[in-house]
Amino acid sequence: MEHTVNSHNMHDHHHEETFLTKYIFSQDHKMIAKQFLFTGMFWSIVGALLSVIFRLQLGWPNETFPFLETLLGKWAEGGKITNEFYYSLVTMHGTILVFFVLTAGLSGTFANLLIPYQIGARDMASPFMNMLSYWFFFLSGLLMLSSLFIQTGAASGGWTMYPPLNGMRNTAVNLGSGLGTDLWFFSMALFIVSSLLGGLNYVATILNMRTKGMGMWKLPLPIWALMFTAILGILAFPPLLSAALLLEFDRIFDTSFYLSDIILGGNLQDYKGGSPILYQHLFWFLGHPEVYIIILPAMGIVSEVLSVNSRKPVFGYRAMVYALGVIVLLGFLVWAHHMYMTGMNPFIGSIFVIFTLMIAVPSAVKVFNWLTTIWKGNLRLTPAMMFSLGFVSLFISGGLTGIFLGNSAIDIPLHDTYFVVAHFHVVMGVAAFFAMFAGVYHWFPKMFGRFLNDTLGYIHFYGTIISAYAIFVPMHFMLSLPRRYYTYSNFQTFNIFEDVSKFISVFAIISFLLQILFVVNIIYSALKGRKMTEDNINPWQANSLEWTTPAEHLHGNWPGDIPEVHRWPYDYSTGYGDQDFRPQHLPLEEGEEAH
Amino acid sequence: MFNIILTLAVIVLFYSVVLLFARIVEKIREHKGKELNYYKLSKTNATLFTLFGVLFLGGFAYCFKRLAYASLPEAASNFGVQIDNLFFVTAVITGVVFLLCHFALFGFVWMYRSSKNRKATFFAHSGSLEIIWTSVPALAMTVLVVMGLNTWYQVFPNKKVRNANEMQVEVTGKQFNWIVRYPGKDGKFGRRVISKKFVSPENELGIDWSDPASHDDFFASEIHMVKNNPIYFNLHALDVLHSFYLPHFRLKMDCVPGVPTGIGFTPTKTNDETREELKSNPFWSANDPETGEPRFNKFSYELACAELCGKSHYGMQMNVKVESKDEFTKWMLAQKPHYETIKDKLAK
Repeated sequence: MEHTVNSHNMHDHHHEETFLTKYIFSQDHKMIAKQFLFTGMFWSIVGALLSVIFRLQLGWPNETFPFLETLLGKWAEGGKITNEFYYSLVTMHGTILVFFVLTAGLSGTFANLLIPYQIGARDMASPFMNMLSYWFFFLSGLLMLSSLFIQTGAASGGWTMYPPLNGMRNTAVNLGSGLGTDLWFFSMALFIVSSLLGGLNYVATILNMRTKGMGMWKLPLPIWALMFTAILGILAFPPLLSAALLLEFDRIFDTSFYLSDIILGGNLQDYKGGSPILYQHLFWFLGHPEVYIIILPAMGIVSEVLSVNSRKPVFGYRAMVYALGVIVLLGFLVWAHHMYMTGMNPFIGSIFVIFTLMIAVPSAVKVFNWLTTIWKGNLRLTPAMMFSLGFVSLFISGGLTGIFLGNSAIDIPLHDTYFVVAHFHVVMGVAAFFAMFAGVYHWFPKMFGRFLNDTLGYIHFYGTIISAYAIFVPMHFMLSLPRRYYTYSNFQTFNIFEDVSKFISVFAIISFLLQILFVVNIIYSALKGRKMTEDNINPWQANSLEWTTPAEHLHGNWPGDIPEVHRWPYDYSTGYGDQDFRPQHLPLEEGEEAH
Repeated sequence: MFNIILTLAVIVLFYSVVLLFARIVEKIREHKGKELNYYKLSKTNATLFTLFGVLFLGGFAYCFKRLAYASLPEAASNFGVQIDNLFFVTAVITGVVFLLCHFALFGFVWMYRSSKNRKATFFAHSGSLEIIWTSVPALAMTVLVVMGLNTWYQVFPNKKVRNANEMQVEVTGKQFNWIVRYPGKDGKFGRRVISKKFVSPENELGIDWSDPASHDDFFASEIHMVKNNPIYFNLHALDVLHSFYLPHFRLKMDCVPGVPTGIGFTPTKTNDETREELKSNPFWSANDPETGEPRFNKFSYELACAELCGKSHYGMQMNVKVESKDEFTKWMLAQKPHYETIKDKLAK
């Protein structure tokens, strides 16, 4: 193959790669995307498995499961998990899913895959930093994983790690608050490093390395979303790092940043003058933007997939970008809505109510724009499209319940109940997963040169959306039930939900088994799936630049010059040309309008 | 062990069958047409997706019908009633949006599924549409914010005006129970001093027993309130965060070590009144399998902890009773001030 050397092209295509540099310490964005994908998949299986184990306890609190003892030993003596282990499970489930799967797994995979491809760059601004970003993530995962196997168990004070429960290295107060919590914070520190390395790189690449003609208003929406996500991450993660450091000072050096007037067993401890609420402010200053770090890339992916498969431009492209921007801005001003019930000044609470409910406006705009995008389209219901439609449904359902919780007065009874659990699982858990699935089904041919099996894809979609709603619709009705309870048998009031809990647990297990099917599909199809041939490199007939690269991956992405861009990425069904799509590198015809 | 292997074998077999099935379907599709198109599949999928829509919205309605009884009985406090109203208004507004959006979603998928003859309409943006659906949600949110903050400031007024006949109770959360202190006849709590001099295993709260106001304070093993009499809970925590949660009254407030908090309201229904109401509830009128009596016989309001506080977080239960003034006075007179039980020891 002959290569025209291009001024951007600084890579040597004939450079011999060893196994180590190609698959392990790779600096190629496509390989790093795969690394993130597989690591994310590993973590989602672990995270989901933990939830299956605690769903067994919640669904059948009076039964024993001898196989659990075989698997878990002292944590499930007699086939029933202990309460301490239960709290480790819920803590680790939350941590793993929020950080390792939906942050690193989602952003890591698609930012790495899509940014260079869709903006027309040969790789990231700093491929080396990109590699470091993955390996810091990997190390952070190793630390977190190891904490599951230590004597005192993994962290067990909730994924938010509130002090004083997690603020003292005292296993009598909280068993997981020994080494488990230290590992949690050290792992999180590495994770933040990874996230910052990745985020800076993403922003730098998007701003500086766009190909000729690719103005900001010609960027596909996933790129806009990933850029906003990276900005959010860069601004929000450092406060978590400082919060974590101060907490570790409290834990290791007995300082009092977050602790005051602690009385254990009738003995006053030496902590004086700190405030546990301070930690909550610092934590949620990351924690709330974090949910947007999760959902923005999801929105970007869905916008793209919906538009391609509707054969229509995404409706209100600029409004979509502005909505993302407004969400980022407001995302930084709403953190204390997680803290209405901490006894903070009611006036401050009311400010946060206003900002929180304001976020409903850009979110509503996005939903209406998606619905208008499919309106009067020519909908190709590919598996990716089905998952995107599922995402829209989930985002509507989960977004609307947020309006209840954002209003502080309604939050008084609902705070820390299953209504909250149902709300965030639908809107940022399942919905983000659906977008991730949509992305994988859509870009799998680009990643692996082969197609996923459609039939398995449809089974996966219908099975998952049915079981997801079967889990979370009834859960909204458990709105009086406090969350993080090992059993409800101590309360008459809460026993009423026994049957519902069982129902939810059954569907949790079904939904877990269905995800295994997805993993089987990925592994099987990556090895044996239908091939994407070189004469069919644009199977979805999409406009964006990644579909102009050859099916066979090559370092530097394009064999010759990087294509020049002449139009926005959503010229579908414009009426020009004999096909219903106009790729971005196609020059405008006479009379054709640029958007 | 054998069971585990058997289960795993069944699961593996199941996946293999599904994989084989999927593989065959793909082969047939490949065989039928070189270009894999989604036209045929789109019809099947649009049908399935619409069916799913019916199942989803139907299931939602069924949950409403089936689980409505499982929600709590009518709120038993003044603010609870207001909060429930606000919840209802929000539910109506969001419910309309929920239904309209889902009808559109399922409807569009059915109507615009791909077929050979269909051409998508190029429709990239419309200023007026976007203005409409920015301003309508903004208006709806404004209404909800105004209503919400109105209730919010009633529950937590910025400047609290003490009501003269407001009853004071102090509740302190610790791992894993609640310490409930009533001020006794004088209506005043004995002073608490958080220092090593006062705090001890016998005196966890650090009460200064030389303060005469402490002499009639008593600890209670359940919370008693008087119907229609305002009450204020002064909340504290000894060790970690707890949260004072009264589901029947729709109220909650965190207890924070080192930071006093509180919440006040007026209970409006006695335990007996709520028990009467529960007689028509299918769950509560059914017999309790343990006692063989209807469940409502043993009904009581309950206090729960709503902030993860350690391994027995789920065990912080306490009964709560709302009663008439007379009943309350009778109960209060029967309680022995804590000072009485320790004064001999203190004298030594």
